[in-house]
Amino acid sequence: MNAVIREQAVQLDYRDWQASTRRKADRPALTPEEAARPFAKYYHEDIPAPDPAHLALMDQPCDPQLAIGPERMNDLLAPGELDVEIGWCNLANGAGFIANRMIYPDITPAMVDWWFAWHPLEDLRYRIWYPPQHGGIMVSPEGRRRLLDPLVPMHEKNWGVVHHVTENCNCGMENIDIHFVSPREFGFDMTRWREPHVSTFAGGFGWAVAVDRTDESITAPALMCHIFRRHPRGLEHRTRFWMGYRLSQGRPELTLPPGVAVPAPAVQGLARHNVCEFTRWGQFLPRIYQEFGGRMLC
Amino acid sequence: MPIKLMAASRRRPGLTRAEYQRYIEFYHGTIARQERLKIRSYVQNHVTDGAFGTLADETHRQVADRDAVVELQFDSFRDMLETLEPATPSAASQDGRFFADERHNVIVMAEEEDVAVAAPLPTFNPGLGIVRGVGALKVLHYIMRADEVYREDYYTLWRDAHDYALQRAPYAREQLRRCVMNRRCQANDNDAAARKHFKMVDPPVYDLVAAHWYDTQEHAGAFRQYEEALRSYPRPFADWSKSFYLYTRQVVIIRDTPGGPA
Repeated sequence: MNAVIREQAVQLDYRDWQASTRRKADRPALTPEEAARPFAKYYHEDIPAPDPAHLALMDQPCDPQLAIGPERMNDLLAPGELDVEIGWCNLANGAGFIANRMIYPDITPAMVDWWFAWHPLEDLRYRIWYPPQHGGIMVSPEGRRRLLDPLVPMHEKNWGVVHHVTENCNCGMENIDIHFVSPREFGFDMTRWREPHVSTFAGGFGWAVAVDRTDESITAPALMCHIFRRHPRGLEHRTRFWMGYRLSQGRPELTLPPGVAVPAPAVQGLARHNVCEFTRWGQFLPRIYQEFGGRMLC
Repeated sequence: MPIKLMAASRRRPGLTRAEYQRYIEFYHGTIARQERLKIRSYVQNHVTDGAFGTLADETHRQVADRDAVVELQFDSFRDMLETLEPATPSAASQDGRFFADERHNVIVMAEEEDVAVAAPLPTFNPGLGIVRGVGALKVLHYIMRADEVYREDYYTLWRDAHDYALQRAPYAREQLRRCVMNRRCQANDNDAAARKHFKMVDPPVYDLVAAHWYDTQEHAGAFRQYEEALRSYPRPFADWSKSFYLYTRQVVIIRDTPGGPA
């Protein structure tokens, strides 16, 4: 009989996972089991600083008139650029808007699909992505079964899977339930879903609440979109967040109470975090893919 | 996108069930019609019977008393907030204390998902067959998620268990006219103001309320058969001692779409 593989042995039930997040939020030293994992070396690497000029674009809010709401997500399938490719602001309805663009010379769509399916299987896989702010990750037993199912294509593995991440987006450690969905379920026009306009996608909707939640804590929704297309200099990654929106029956819906806006520090914090974590990602994904890419078990 | 608020309450001390149900139908219901705000539909489910926990429990592990469940449906989350928290407090929001034991309310903000049934029409007298999926007995099944089960798996498991149970409950399979999953929306986590308003103390959280329609009140046995089969599903997903079901009679207070589903 096969020994229990590490990718399954780390499974916690919901109650135990919730209890564990307080400890994960402190980003403890690696356990002996984690330190022995073949990818643990990435945890100890120096983390590259983002391009200062790029990060500076997140210093001040952009013009909300130039930003788009989620009902215009299909604009991302048009050739060329949108008015805001890097920036953040509050929209007129109070929602938070974030746009970011990265260009990766050494990343392919296959690497992206593999990464988003591979990393949720263990805390350490998530922590090596951005050690300063990533505390841990968990998926449910049914989610894990899907991720490990060899019959599910790599780019579809996350569809319907919830990543329960513990992460600091510059406003304190939060537990975020990220419900990954297919591009169709996210709301994209699939008649326009083709090369060269889009190469791959990872996204869905999330609910975030402080790890140290109290009775008064707000559980905040957001839509998350990572869409990729080929670019003369490699692969172009365009991120959009719409904070304050949830996905309801395949359509975005604003869930802010009247007169309420997503706090600007939360929008800016996530924008800056996004620049930092994907700077790191662009630097280490090609290398880790070279070692482990294409398979789920290590 | 439609969202609804389901509030299960019990009568305030000193009222009989009949007095309570008369009050909510004729007083509270009338106030809601007069002061509709952005309510899309409003249905009261008057409890006729029900059961809390299981026969294996030596004593109750929950408030074992519910007299009605009201369902307020809205076109959007924003409409719901504007109705429930208007700039000037509504009369309806102040009326609850006259009939309900408010601190023991159980509130679920939910989105509906219809589950297909084998026989949405009775076979013996289906009429023109235009109206399907209605019945005079509506069962509301509040199923407490087991603490160790992830919410996303819980819904998958319930759905699987539901099919499993109907396979083993032929009377229910034949008589069930409509079934709706009411899935709790995570926005419900932000109900601190409501809890404070109602002085609710650590209210239980139900991630799912399944609604079942049968032809008449006499078909309660069909649900009973189904519920026992559901609990025999081999994979754990629910805390049955904290779950309950209510047999109810539906009273429509506001609904503008005659011919629509029940």
